[in-house]
Amino acid sequence: MPLGSRLASAWRTLFRKNRVERDLDEEMQAAQALLEERHRRDGLTAAEARRAARIALGGIEPVKEEIRHRRPGAAVDSTLLDLRYAVRGLIKAPAFTAVIVATLALGIGANSAIFSVVHTLLLAPLPYRDADRLIFVWSDMTDAGYPRAPLSGPELADLRTRSSTVAGFAAIWANTTALTGEGDPEQLRIGLVTDNFFDVLGADPHFGRTFRADDAVPGAPPTILLGWPLFERRYGADPSIVGRQILVNDRPTTVVGVMPKSFRLLLPPDASVPDDLQAWQPFSSAMPRGPRGQQYLRVVGRMRIGATVAEAHADITAIARRISAEFTEYGAAGRLFTVVALQQDDVREMRPALLALFAGVAILLVIACVNVASLLIARAAARGRETALRLALGAGRGRLLRQCLVEGLVLAVLGVVAGVPAGYAVLGALQALRPHALSRIDLSRFDPPVLAFTIGTALLWGLLFSLAPLFEVVKSDIHASLQQHGRSTPGPVRYRTRAALVVVQVSLSVVLLVGAGLLVRAFFQVQQVDPGFRTGRMLTFRVAVPFQRYRPPAAFNAFSRELQRVLGAVPGVTGVGAISHLPYDDLPNWGGGYALETATNTSAAPNADYRTVTPGLFETLGVRLVEGRFFTEADQTPVVIVDDRLAQRLWPGRSALNQRLLVDPGSNGSPTVKATVVGVVSHLRLRSLVADLTEQVFFPERLVPRNPMAYVIRGDRDAAALAADVRKAIASLDARLPIYDVRPLDSYVEGARGTRRFTMQLAAAFALVALALACVGVYGVLAYSVARRRHEFGVRLALGAEPRRVVVDVMREGLRLAAIGSLVGVAGALAASRLLETQLYGVRPHDPVSYAGTIAVLAVAAAIACWIPARRATNVSPMDALRTE
Amino acid sequence: MGKRQAELMKGTLDLLVLKTLELEPRHGVGVADRIEQISSGTFVVKPGSLFPALHRLEQEGFIKGEWSETPEGRRARYYRITGAGLRQLTTEKKNWARVVMAIGLILESD
Repeated sequence: MPLGSRLASAWRTLFRKNRVERDLDEEMQAAQALLEERHRRDGLTAAEARRAARIALGGIEPVKEEIRHRRPGAAVDSTLLDLRYAVRGLIKAPAFTAVIVATLALGIGANSAIFSVVHTLLLAPLPYRDADRLIFVWSDMTDAGYPRAPLSGPELADLRTRSSTVAGFAAIWANTTALTGEGDPEQLRIGLVTDNFFDVLGADPHFGRTFRADDAVPGAPPTILLGWPLFERRYGADPSIVGRQILVNDRPTTVVGVMPKSFRLLLPPDASVPDDLQAWQPFSSAMPRGPRGQQYLRVVGRMRIGATVAEAHADITAIARRISAEFTEYGAAGRLFTVVALQQDDVREMRPALLALFAGVAILLVIACVNVASLLIARAAARGRETALRLALGAGRGRLLRQCLVEGLVLAVLGVVAGVPAGYAVLGALQALRPHALSRIDLSRFDPPVLAFTIGTALLWGLLFSLAPLFEVVKSDIHASLQQHGRSTPGPVRYRTRAALVVVQVSLSVVLLVGAGLLVRAFFQVQQVDPGFRTGRMLTFRVAVPFQRYRPPAAFNAFSRELQRVLGAVPGVTGVGAISHLPYDDLPNWGGGYALETATNTSAAPNADYRTVTPGLFETLGVRLVEGRFFTEADQTPVVIVDDRLAQRLWPGRSALNQRLLVDPGSNGSPTVKATVVGVVSHLRLRSLVADLTEQVFFPERLVPRNPMAYVIRGDRDAAALAADVRKAIASLDARLPIYDVRPLDSYVEGARGTRRFTMQLAAAFALVALALACVGVYGVLAYSVARRRHEFGVRLALGAEPRRVVVDVMREGLRLAAIGSLVGVAGALAASRLLETQLYGVRPHDPVSYAGTIAVLAVAAAIACWIPARRATNVSPMDALRTE
Repeated sequence: MGKRQAELMKGTLDLLVLKTLELEPRHGVGVADRIEQISSGTFVVKPGSLFPALHRLEQEGFIKGEWSETPEGRRARYYRITGAGLRQLTTEKKNWARVVMAIGLILESD
């Protein structure tokens, strides 16, 4: 049939229904009248004639039904009917509907929220132009204990001149600077960048411009590019600031532009470039002339169009080989570079955790959906007679199947409608929890891909649920169903299906519970880690002493000592010290080689973390002294304190005291400065709670000054209360001195555990919800079984069975399902937990405690879920049970 | 109806209906009468399958239904064959001839 007439006909069927129906009706009436008349002419009575005509036509209604069914548009029409039927059915059972919608909202919402995070962090390209062309370059100094180290200025220059695959290289280094002039002085975290940094990254300014080559010419007037938060906070978001001069480090500096509000600097977390930099300033173009060994540059590259990361890696590795041969500074060890795609490297540490969470939440959805399917099966069972009746009255099985599908789709739509707001809420909660390493989580949105995912998930599951009762319809036995007068005893097939589903649920929850258990145990293990210092009740802040005002070094030292004295005099303060790098901060670390005084080849010297500390710092932090002494104000000659790992490595089995070693406090690339060890402290975990085993060298501030320094103050009251007094004390010394990063020391330690805490909390939440859903599943199937055996229990109780026996019977049935599920689940968890290995610490994936704990929790929860229907079984009144017959 | 009745082969009903309407428009009962009459009672078309077939053919554009009066003065829906119907009839006739020939060949082969 031509499409046109088919469409026209479908149109008529759907929208001109009355006319079509009337026509059909009339035609059939006419045919009947015709036959009737013919029979009457043959001599039959009127009644006989009508009867004969009816028989000949075979019943008008079925003929009409047949015609209706064949019309184009008939399928749509009957689907609309199904839809109405489905919606009416859901409205008529509000509790049933509410349970299903709530379950779906939970499952779909949690999935959408996690997917939104996964999408933002793992899937969506970085918010830069052609972000897939961005790479990050590391120095691989694995032999020196530093697999991901920065590069030096000359190395950046080498890459720029020699690379054939990368169109541009840019570098950044985080620093701080003082903003003075109008308003309160403040210390800014800034990024020092090469002039091409934003071009290479592919980010444009909102106002003004980024940097140009002439900003970097030595002696060029100083320039600064503002980040949006600073622009808004300090300059009232007034665009006229662009082009004006502000005082940066007491020098008039021109504001060249403002980055957009949405701009984020997304570099790998271990690149030590904080993502909350407030402004940027250009490096001088003379920068690449620094020493080769002075590695501080974080290098980003933009590959040429068509180049792959593997090609760039090969190219840059070859450059490393050539410069290793050309420059004697590298010695025998040479230089090695690693090139990684920026996108992958950014999420390197978070990826496994996120994927584990995503897998967990997907399992949760399966459990939730199994509950829904189970409910639908129960309802299909209750409707068994209705289904059989409809089949008996001539409804096609195809029609019934379609109706189930339509119902599934209606539920899926409800799932989307409920899931989107739920997902929104869950995402909000995730963003409120956001750990530092996941700061990008607040960029997660319910954007079109996430919506598509939500809708897709809901539809997929909607179709799957609808398949569950379909099975019932297909197998429906008309005779058996209709013969069971009034008693709706569903067959054992249904029970078995639901029991199997419950086993699936229980086993999946066991997998989640074990995973969560492992993560919780690992978290507690991390919390047990002794970082080597005390953390409670300590306030930290940073202060940058302006060199311009406190010169020469003697004046600087005098001031720093005065500052420490004033702080120590604050009432209630019991200890004060300063250190160049606080534990677990996100600023660039500082390190360098170390070697025995007698070493001949220092180019391959192992690396140590360097820290400058003032006298009093170790005492304040409660660091354990292994031998020797802490620093004092009297230290005049080059002295150092080392950690026990370094002492053990250089002087195994001997005292390290008064030994001499070579260090490189000036970051010249190789250890050449002699120093005497005056003390050995037990290793401090300063960079990471779980993986920080690099040797440490501590310098006295007097001899190796660093600026800014971070002060640590121990007091008799909590950090917040101390802060006000501390500010007052500093203001009394120098009112123009900006202090910043005023935070309790605990917050840094908490930050170091943040990602783990986040993963653990989410995993635990998923596991508990999964457990609850599985228990609802166990409860549901058991309650159903009890209802089915009501009669049996009634009879048994009437015959004098002890209620206790009945309870035991029912509970045994439920616990048997739980036990089978647990066994399957444990097997699954044993296999799956290996995937969590990278997230664990101090716990093996086959940790017996987590498994035993899971089984215990599950057993208790399942027992409760079984007990309720079991109690109900004993409440069956024998008379009632018999009467329902 | 003492004569032996034969099952209509699947798909042949359309052919018979179109053939019946080739000469003149008829109403549903008229079509059934005509088929029974020409086939000397061999084919009895039940209204349960005839009416759906008529509606289907109409939707396909091969016949067209119009309200009209019977010679007895009753209102009835008369179907008339369309141009497309005539073309379809030719095609179906050819098909049928091929089928008959093919079946004949099979039956006569030893």
